[in-house]
Amino acid sequence: MVLYNFKQITVVPSGKEFVDIILSRTQRQTPTVVHKGYAINRIRQFYMRKVKYTQTNFHEKISTILEDFPRLDDIHPFYGELLNHLYDKDHYKLALGQLNTARNLIEKIAKDYVRLLKYGDSLYRCKNLKKAALGRMCTVMKRVSPSLAYLEQVRQHMSRLPSIDPNTRTILICGYPNVGKSSFINKITRADVDVQPYAFTTKSLFVGHTDYKYMRWQVIDTPGILDHPLEECNTIEMLSITALAYLRAAVLFVVDLSGNCGYTIAQQAALFHSIRALFANKPVIIACNKTDLQPFETLPESDKKLIEEMRKEAARAGAGLVDGAPPDEENCMLTMSTMTEEGLINVKNAACEKLLQMRVEMKMKSKKINDCLNRIHVAVPKARDQKERPPVIPQAVLDARAAQNNAAENKRKLEKDLENENGGAGVYSANLHKHYLLLDPDWKDDIVPEIMDGHNIADFVDADILQRLDELEREEDERAAAAENGMDEDEDMSDQDLTPEEAEALAAIRRKKKLMLAEHRAKKKTADNKPVVPRRHDVERQFNTSRMGRHLSSLGLDPTAAVNRARSRSAAGTRSRKRERSEAAGGDDMEVDEQANKRMRSRTRSLSRPHKEALPGEGFKDSAQKVKAMKIGKNAVKERNKDARKGEADRVHYNKKPKHLFSGKRGTGKTDRR
Amino acid sequence: MRLEKCWFCSSTIYPGHGIQFVRNDAKIFRFCRSKCHKNFKMKRNPRKVKWTKAYRKLHGKELTQDATFEFERRRNRPERYNREVVEQTLKAMKKIDEVRVQREAKFWESRMKGKKAKERTEAAKELEQNIHLVKAPGVMKSEPGFSLPKLAEKTKVKVSTSSKVEMQE
Repeated sequence: MVLYNFKQITVVPSGKEFVDIILSRTQRQTPTVVHKGYAINRIRQFYMRKVKYTQTNFHEKISTILEDFPRLDDIHPFYGELLNHLYDKDHYKLALGQLNTARNLIEKIAKDYVRLLKYGDSLYRCKNLKKAALGRMCTVMKRVSPSLAYLEQVRQHMSRLPSIDPNTRTILICGYPNVGKSSFINKITRADVDVQPYAFTTKSLFVGHTDYKYMRWQVIDTPGILDHPLEECNTIEMLSITALAYLRAAVLFVVDLSGNCGYTIAQQAALFHSIRALFANKPVIIACNKTDLQPFETLPESDKKLIEEMRKEAARAGAGLVDGAPPDEENCMLTMSTMTEEGLINVKNAACEKLLQMRVEMKMKSKKINDCLNRIHVAVPKARDQKERPPVIPQAVLDARAAQNNAAENKRKLEKDLENENGGAGVYSANLHKHYLLLDPDWKDDIVPEIMDGHNIADFVDADILQRLDELEREEDERAAAAENGMDEDEDMSDQDLTPEEAEALAAIRRKKKLMLAEHRAKKKTADNKPVVPRRHDVERQFNTSRMGRHLSSLGLDPTAAVNRARSRSAAGTRSRKRERSEAAGGDDMEVDEQANKRMRSRTRSLSRPHKEALPGEGFKDSAQKVKAMKIGKNAVKERNKDARKGEADRVHYNKKPKHLFSGKRGTGKTDRR
Repeated sequence: MRLEKCWFCSSTIYPGHGIQFVRNDAKIFRFCRSKCHKNFKMKRNPRKVKWTKAYRKLHGKELTQDATFEFERRRNRPERYNREVVEQTLKAMKKIDEVRVQREAKFWESRMKGKKAKERTEAAKELEQNIHLVKAPGVMKSEPGFSLPKLAEKTKVKVSTSSKVEMQE
């Protein structure tokens, strides 16, 4: 109910900050521009607005603060007392009162100055009035600034108080300092309270939560209490006493048996008796701690007696709670050790149980119980005769229950146990074949092949595969027999093979054909690219008679006749051989000789006059001119160059602007000639 | 673990090889190597690509239907393990393999049967037609020892014109 508000209180700014915030907001949110030439009403309105706005903001902010801070009289008395002890009730109330007065003052100031502004007759006057109003409001706030600072501190501390629900199930742990209260709460709940060897380690209340019977229980750890009267207690001790006084909880009084805390059992017993009054109407349990250092049995008799007395007191206190039940002396005193954790759960359970009983009792007595009872109805069949009909439990269930009780000893061995025995999770790998259902259990551990010779065995597996295999083999044998019979026809026509000479000729034919094909292909390819040289220019001298002769003889013909003819027809032959023939031939080649001589004679006649002499009818000045003319005339007779090589006139520019000449930078040199 | 067949070339895909492609209609295409995969991506029909088994079977270059192929059938129901049956199966598999190989060899032989005769006739024809490339025709007549092989089967049927005329009349 009241728990959450402590964390949601608005931040209280300091005096200066407060003023800054309000003034800057006024400056931002109201119009800022005014000139002295405006209408006077407009000027008045402008400044009145500012004053009113500032006042409203102050009012709002202070109101929120005043509302957020809890009123100590309206909250649960536990919290009221707590806050009183922590922050001093009077101071708190005074601070809030001062804020309230400040608010009223600011309202009055604003009212007065607005009234004055109504009669301001110039911009200068109105402006000064506004300045005065705002200034006074700010001074009021500045005067209140110590209260604001105090309230901010209070707010910060309050937001960090533990969220204790005063109405729910609570267990309160109290005792001398250093007896082991914080250790106990650390062990039972998830709270992480500081545990140190010096006294007063715990300086405020700490809350932890634990579970019992499916319900949430608050466990409150208190600072230690010393044995002196209330007036002499300091703030920290007052916290625990407040808690004891106002929370209706089960009290767990922790006693240190070993005296390790620095106080004897006598002193602790004395404390118990002095705060006995606070235990009225609360179930009390005495928890004797540190039994690992000093077990209860070996205590000296005097100490035991003291603890006995405490127990009796606790029992008496608890007796008044539950009507009709005898004072439960047994459960009032329990031993435990927070170090070894023995007896902790028992203590907790005992405390919870006692409190639960008390709360149920209270609920039964209150008015609300009737609502609950009305909703619960146990239906019982009407008894028609006196016969006893006890509930029937089948024998099997009884046997099962008995077996279950025995089962704790002989449990079935689980796979998990097997795994743990054989080396744990990473080491042991379970035998998955164990539970296979096969015709013969010996086969369980067989390693089954899946692939053989490039086939999947699973594709071949068949129950009657042997039978089919037999059929196949029979079929194969039949086929083999049939093939034997069919082999009568002789495919061996070896007499029709080629003779070695024919084979040679065939090979030669094939070679020749290949060559011709290759040549044709080469020629075809180069026809467009290379001009063909006319045969007359046989530069490589491949067309000569020896070659022809060889070719003809390879064909099987006699080349001599053809070679002779070729030789006789060539020009070189006729000129050089003319004399030889005339000498050697004699009478056989008469006809031929005469012909040759005749030709010679005609030539010699034309050669009788020197050809360079200029004859009169030819039109030359002198023989020098004629010689020049002849020379020039030879140019015209020059044979056309049919080598098909590029001449001077055959320059064709395929690429008028080659890129490498027209682009790019030069390493050295100029590029102005492009 | 299973040996699969490549969708394109029908060779076996061993574990650790190849790529599987699952189409949107959940049909799985397995390829033995990137060659087949790339051919598939180019949308080539394996029945038209010379080196695949699909082509060869379609064009009668390999044994298509045989009893030995019936043994290898993919069964989708798992059989309970039976050691004896598996033993028998293993032995049978070897024998079936042998039989299959023999039958394939015989198929190949029958396919290649007429090759020698064909080659002979072709050689004879070539020799007769192109002898002029190697030996001059004149020489041929003068060397009677060199004779062309006889062309065995082909005999030209001469139809006498007189009989024809008779028939017309």
